[in-house]
Amino acid sequence: MGVGAVVLLCGALLVSLACSGGEAPPPDAESTGGRLQVFAVNEPLRYFAERIGGDAVEVHFPAPAGVDPAHWSPDPDTVASYQGADLILLNGAGYAGWVTRATLPRSALVDTTGAVRDRLLARSDGVTHQHGPSGEHTHGAKAFTTWLDPTLASAQAAAVADAFASRRPELADRFARDRAALEADLLDLDARFAEAATALDGAPLIFSHPVYDYLVRRYDLDARSLHWEPDQPPAAREWRRLETIVRRHPARLLVWEAEPLADTVRRAAELGLESVVFAPCGNRCEGDWLDAMRSNAERLAAAAPSEP
Amino acid sequence: MSGVAYLAARYLARHKLVSGVLVAALALVVFLPAGLRVLVRHSAEALRARAIATPLVVGAPGSPVDLVLASLYFESGAPQPVPFSEVQHIDETGLAEAVPLHVRFRTGGKAIVGTTLAYFRQRELRVASGRLPAVLGECVVGASAARDLGVRPGDTLVSSPETVFDLAGVYPLRMRVTGILAPAGGPDDAAVFVDVKTAWIIQGLVHGHSDLAGPGSDAGVLAREEGRITANASVVEYNEITPENLDSFHFHGDPGAYPLTAVLAFPPEARSRALLMGRYEGSEARQILRPGGVIDELLATVFAVEKSVVAAIGLVAVATLAVGALVFVLSARLRRREFATLVKIGAPRGTVAALLGAEIALVTGAALLVAGGLVFVAARFAPLLLRSALAS
Repeated sequence: MGVGAVVLLCGALLVSLACSGGEAPPPDAESTGGRLQVFAVNEPLRYFAERIGGDAVEVHFPAPAGVDPAHWSPDPDTVASYQGADLILLNGAGYAGWVTRATLPRSALVDTTGAVRDRLLARSDGVTHQHGPSGEHTHGAKAFTTWLDPTLASAQAAAVADAFASRRPELADRFARDRAALEADLLDLDARFAEAATALDGAPLIFSHPVYDYLVRRYDLDARSLHWEPDQPPAAREWRRLETIVRRHPARLLVWEAEPLADTVRRAAELGLESVVFAPCGNRCEGDWLDAMRSNAERLAAAAPSEP
Repeated sequence: MSGVAYLAARYLARHKLVSGVLVAALALVVFLPAGLRVLVRHSAEALRARAIATPLVVGAPGSPVDLVLASLYFESGAPQPVPFSEVQHIDETGLAEAVPLHVRFRTGGKAIVGTTLAYFRQRELRVASGRLPAVLGECVVGASAARDLGVRPGDTLVSSPETVFDLAGVYPLRMRVTGILAPAGGPDDAAVFVDVKTAWIIQGLVHGHSDLAGPGSDAGVLAREEGRITANASVVEYNEITPENLDSFHFHGDPGAYPLTAVLAFPPEARSRALLMGRYEGSEARQILRPGGVIDELLATVFAVEKSVVAAIGLVAVATLAVGALVFVLSARLRRREFATLVKIGAPRGTVAALLGAEIALVTGAALLVAGGLVFVAARFAPLLLRSALAS
């Protein structure tokens, strides 16, 4: 051993001399009242957690109504409430980017798409940039509205059930039973979406926002995407772009995340586009999340053009 | 008090300087080995306690001593880095809770320790005021570090450049203090804790910059092609994280490749620990250490050094005793007339020898008392004194 090591050790000895006593209670993420404290980053995961966990869990979803949880950032005090969670259900695929900028308990994090990472899609609108010596990079490289493919949603529900069972092994059978019921509902939803897609019969579609990648892939839809907000009137330049798209891609349906402005609906109709709402329901929607998804399928099927 | 003892005491009191020097010299000769032993044993105990509280340390190959000292005491040179994927790897084994440690930067002379919330739980650290870090750029400060740096929740700290001439290196980051830890009586008191991602920001691996795709960003763009933007040198990279720019911070590349100083592993029981150690057996890319074992080996060296020091002090003691004896002999010669007077006024035979013996006994007794007091002070108050010294 070298002299340096001995000197270092002497330094450490001095530091260690400062050790005596100390106060203990750690920052605590234990559940209260025996119920697992579960935080979700979006409405689908909140719904899955409540369906699977029942009264064994207390599900929190702090994102305020009316914001897109994918792009919402909680304030530090809200993050501090997440720090007390037993489980934090993440959507994965880069959804809710604030998670990477927050200090959260690693042991509580559950990446619900971790097991299906190979099925995630690259975002079609990602921008690569380069500055300084660190090379090219892209922010938010994956499409993240994964639950629009019910088979992926089912995998996410399975991840939720597994996480619950790992924390409450004594309730594993109950979680498995409720997860099976949810899976049956998701398969039924898959069938309804498939019916709607069949009704479309390959008709071209235009989506107002590039958040339907998984729906497009799952049901083999012929779609293009805009970057329009339903509550904002599109600029003249955007209307011209739409006209260009429609010329090359003769769609008859313009699919919105939420009810668009009446004037926008009228102008779209002038271009031969019927507006129909297919709400991804990343945040709370009217009524039950599953009912909202079923309504989406019904609206899409009902809006399918009668002749191609 | 007998006449002889009285005369001896009066003589010593009359010659305060000589008596004091003799008592001090003898006291030091006794105190040095005993005090050293007390200090070393006390330190070793504290050192071992910290090591035992840390079941396993995983790091890159290199000096086990450096790795353990950096991981447990935030001291020593930075060991070779280990990638963050090692944390994920240990987590996936299910054999232990993995806690990353990034110990490279300093602020005001205090180590900036990048870690996760699990560290505070495993070390049983409690927040005395404020709260733990919640977002990038926030820090929580150990009790003595907060006192030394004079910070409270809401204040800011700026990370130090690694070297004075680090002009092209990492930019200092202004961090917001969100909490002060309660005193824990260890190295954690003297450290500043951040999320490991904040440590990577200081290192320049995670960064935030002005929007390159939005309106008004043309001044910072060198080239803009379909889906690809090349920025010029005027793009502002933020050196303070605020609510306004927080969302612009992002990772480059695979976070699994980001560097750590070490990974602490906390297995729930001995079997898991053995299994985890088995996973690393024969690994050339990683080393897994039981800090207790490393510290015990080091302490064996310290105890050997202590023995050598005590032996050297023994030689000094012999010399001191010889000098003391010489002082008494010379003193007796100088006091020949005094002793003759004692005999003439009828002092019994042997009184002179008894007088000198009493003086030696009093000096030795006083020296032992002083040495015992010093050892007691060392044992009782040295930790506090050293803690103050370390804090300053």
